[in-house]
Amino acid sequence: MTPIHELSVHNNAQDTMQAPAIQIENLSKWYESFRALTDVNLTIAYGERIVICGPSGSGKSTLIRCINQLEVHQKGRLVVNGVTLVPGMKGLSAIRRDVGMVFQHFNLFPHLTVLDNCTLALRRVRKLDRREAEAVAHANLERVRIPEQADKYPSQLSGGQQQRVAIARALCMKPKVMLFDEPTSALDPEMINEVLDVMTLLAQDGMTMVCVTHEMGFARKVADRIVFMDQGQIVEQAPPSEFFTNPKHERAKLFLKQILH
Amino acid sequence: MKFDFAFAMEIFPQVLQGIGNTILVAIASFIGASVLGFIWEILRRSSRFVRPVAQLWIDAIRSTPVLVQLYFLFFVLPHYGIVLPAMLTGVLGISVYFSGYIAEVFKAGIDAIPRGQSEAASSLGLSRPDTIGYIIMPQMLRNIAAPLGAYSVSILKSTPYLAVLAVPEMLGSAFDVASETYRYAEPMVVAGILFLALAMIGVALVTRLERRLGLTPAKDL
Repeated sequence: MTPIHELSVHNNAQDTMQAPAIQIENLSKWYESFRALTDVNLTIAYGERIVICGPSGSGKSTLIRCINQLEVHQKGRLVVNGVTLVPGMKGLSAIRRDVGMVFQHFNLFPHLTVLDNCTLALRRVRKLDRREAEAVAHANLERVRIPEQADKYPSQLSGGQQQRVAIARALCMKPKVMLFDEPTSALDPEMINEVLDVMTLLAQDGMTMVCVTHEMGFARKVADRIVFMDQGQIVEQAPPSEFFTNPKHERAKLFLKQILH
Repeated sequence: MKFDFAFAMEIFPQVLQGIGNTILVAIASFIGASVLGFIWEILRRSSRFVRPVAQLWIDAIRSTPVLVQLYFLFFVLPHYGIVLPAMLTGVLGISVYFSGYIAEVFKAGIDAIPRGQSEAASSLGLSRPDTIGYIIMPQMLRNIAAPLGAYSVSILKSTPYLAVLAVPEMLGSAFDVASETYRYAEPMVVAGILFLALAMIGVALVTRLERRLGLTPAKDL
C-alpha cells in the first residue's frame, strides 16, 4: 500500500515558487451593459487561504470562475500558475487540470460511480492506467473521509457526502490551487460542518485555497485574508482578526452586522 | 368480394418474404439517421458560423416530403454519375429524412443536461471530445431513450416508401401478391399485421431498454 501522504496533494510553496499562484490586475468583466467585475486587483501566494465574501451579486463567483476561465474576462491581466490567461485562448485544459474547482451544486457525474467520478480525469487527462488511478482516487476519498462509498452512485449519497466526493475528485488531479464556489450553500445545515471540516483539513495541509463562502466561522478559523466585494469591486482586504473586529468600509460593516446578527 | 381468411393464410409466407429486407432497412436507417442526426446537432452547437447553416439544413430536411427526397436520390443523383443500388438509396433517403428529427431529439437530450456537468468536466481539464464522449453522450442517451425509441418505430413504418424504388420489402411483397391475384384486401391486411407485430416487438424492446437504463446506470467508462 502506498502511504496516503505520498498520493495526496502537497503544496510546494516553500521549495519552488516565489511567483504568486494567482495574479489579477485590473480585471473587468461585463455582460451586455451590466458590469460584473470592475478593475479587480488581487494577488494570491502559494499556500495562502483566501475567503471571498460579500452580498449576493457582488461578483464573488464571477471572480473565481474567471480564474479557471469558466467565465471569460474582457479586460485586465490574469496570471494563474505562471500562465497569462488571454480571453479565447487555446490550451485551457492544460491550465485547468492544475486548478481544482468545487461547485455549489457539486456537479458530480450522475452516471458514474464515486470511484469513476474520481478516476475519469486521471485516466483521460493524466493518462494513468486504471489501477494507478484507482489508488489515487481511494487515497483522496480516504482524505475526505468517505472511502466506503467508492462504488455507489452520487444519487445514493447525502448532499454532504456528494460535496466531499466532489472535493476528492478535484484533489485527485493534484491541483496547485483549489477554488471553492459557495461549497456549502446548497447543503442542509447539519451537513455543512462535515464539508467545512474537510476544507479545514486541506488548509492545514498547506493547500492554496480561494473560497467564496458565507461561513464566517470557517473564514475566521482558516483564512489568511478576507476579501470583501461589493458591486463588482474589492472594497476591503484584511486578515480575519482585523476584518471582523474593525471593518473599514461602510458596506463591509453593514454586511457583517447583517450576517453576524 | 369477401375477405378470404384461407387465402390470407395461403399468401402469408409470400408476404413474409419481404420481412427480412424490412427489418434490415429499418435497422440500417435507424443507425444512419442517429449518426447523421448526432452530426447535425454537434455542428449546430459548434462555431457561430456553422450554426445557421446546420440549422437551415436540418429545417430543409424536415420540410420536404420523404417521397420527394427518395425520388430525388433515385432519379437525380444518377444524372451526376452517382448510381447507388435501390436498397442503399432507400436507406440513405430514410436516414437523411429522419436525421432531421433525431437531431431535435439530441438537442432536447443535451439541453436537459445541467450546464454544471460540462463545467465540471472543463474544470478537471477534460478535452472537448472526452467531455462529449464520457459526460454528455451517456447522459444524453438516457434522456432520449424514449423519444428515440418512438422514432425507431416511425422509421420501421416508413420502410414501405421503398416500394416506390422497387426494393423488395414487405409492402412490395404484398403488392406482388396483389398484382398476381387481383386481390388487395388480404395481402394488405397480412402486411399490416406483420408491421403491427414488428412495431410491438420494437416498443417492447425500447421499454426494456428504458427500464434497464433507469435502474442500473452504466458502469463502465
